[in-house]
Amino acid sequence: MNNEEWPEAVFNSRDPVYLQVVRHFKELIVTGRLTAGQTVPSRRELATRVKINPNTAQKAYKEMEEQKLILTEGNSPSRITSDTATLKAIRSELLGEAVEAFVQSVRRLDAPVDELVELVREKYTGAAGQPDGKAGGA
Amino acid sequence: MIEISDIRKKFRRKHVLNGVSFKVEKGQITSLIGLNGAGKSTILKAIMGLTPVDGGSIRIAGQPITHDIYHTVAFIPDRLTMPGSMKLRDGLQFMADFYPRWNPERAEDLMSFFRLERSERIGRLSKGTAAKFNLVLGMAQDVDYVLMDEPFSGIDMFSRELIAEVFTSQLVEDRGVLITTHEIRDVEHLIDRAVLLMEGHVIKDFNCEEMREAEGKSVIDVMREVYRP
Repeated sequence: MNNEEWPEAVFNSRDPVYLQVVRHFKELIVTGRLTAGQTVPSRRELATRVKINPNTAQKAYKEMEEQKLILTEGNSPSRITSDTATLKAIRSELLGEAVEAFVQSVRRLDAPVDELVELVREKYTGAAGQPDGKAGGA
Repeated sequence: MIEISDIRKKFRRKHVLNGVSFKVEKGQITSLIGLNGAGKSTILKAIMGLTPVDGGSIRIAGQPITHDIYHTVAFIPDRLTMPGSMKLRDGLQFMADFYPRWNPERAEDLMSFFRLERSERIGRLSKGTAAKFNLVLGMAQDVDYVLMDEPFSGIDMFSRELIAEVFTSQLVEDRGVLITTHEIRDVEHLIDRAVLLMEGHVIKDFNCEEMREAEGKSVIDVMREVYRP
């Protein structure tokens, strides 16, 4: 991904911004817009691109280093990890969270699982055909 | 660090500041939040030595305030104070002539970032454009601290967004920035610390990320608790 076209990040005001930045990176990795071994912007560039305070960018990078999402060696720019186990884990983490949130909200409706699965299949494959699925997006 | 300890001030018989203490750290953006009349601007003016206080102390890097403060701190008042008959280029020249810490390259960068025209007359600027030029005059000084009084007040949303972007740039790095505002939504993600004032007291002083992490509260949530009990 060219740094000029860094996708917009939208932040909510109740979760720590640095963790939302980490999450943003994870989504970019899972969707293949950031790939294994790719260099990431400097913390200063990142701050300007996603419009956050440089301190927050610093904190996000520190967190990603601790989670082994990015690697920094000496003075060279940080890179996305090439460790396949870590990359796989990010994908399962994000999918797991999304499914968990879905399950929590439909559990209240007490619908049979087969019906849900069928609905999900319909909706999901249907939505894939229309990339402009922005209904209700603010 | 700017250290404000127990400052007090009365206007006639009204106590405007009733023992206010907080710190402005270098490398952080601190926001002084309060409803109108809470004493925010008075505090900034007191730091700049523009209004006397009746008690307490203000220290910058451990030193009491002297005339040299203008080499360390830039003050961006809530309105442009340059004469309206001047052109922007004259305003920049004025700064270069009288402010030893004026940095012309930085001024240049900011002028193009805000797309300001040098040939324009100050008196004919729209409110939003005047706010941008005001910011150029303050931010282009090579100082350790920048104080801004209501930089977002009464200007259109796109100007506010552009001004907020200054807080994501290297212009704020390694500096201590103190901003007063009641339009916190514009900078909620960008500030490091929030200092909440009420009736001349600091009633809450917190690191915004820690507040989100520990209690899941936004700055606005905390403000609601404090100001609307």
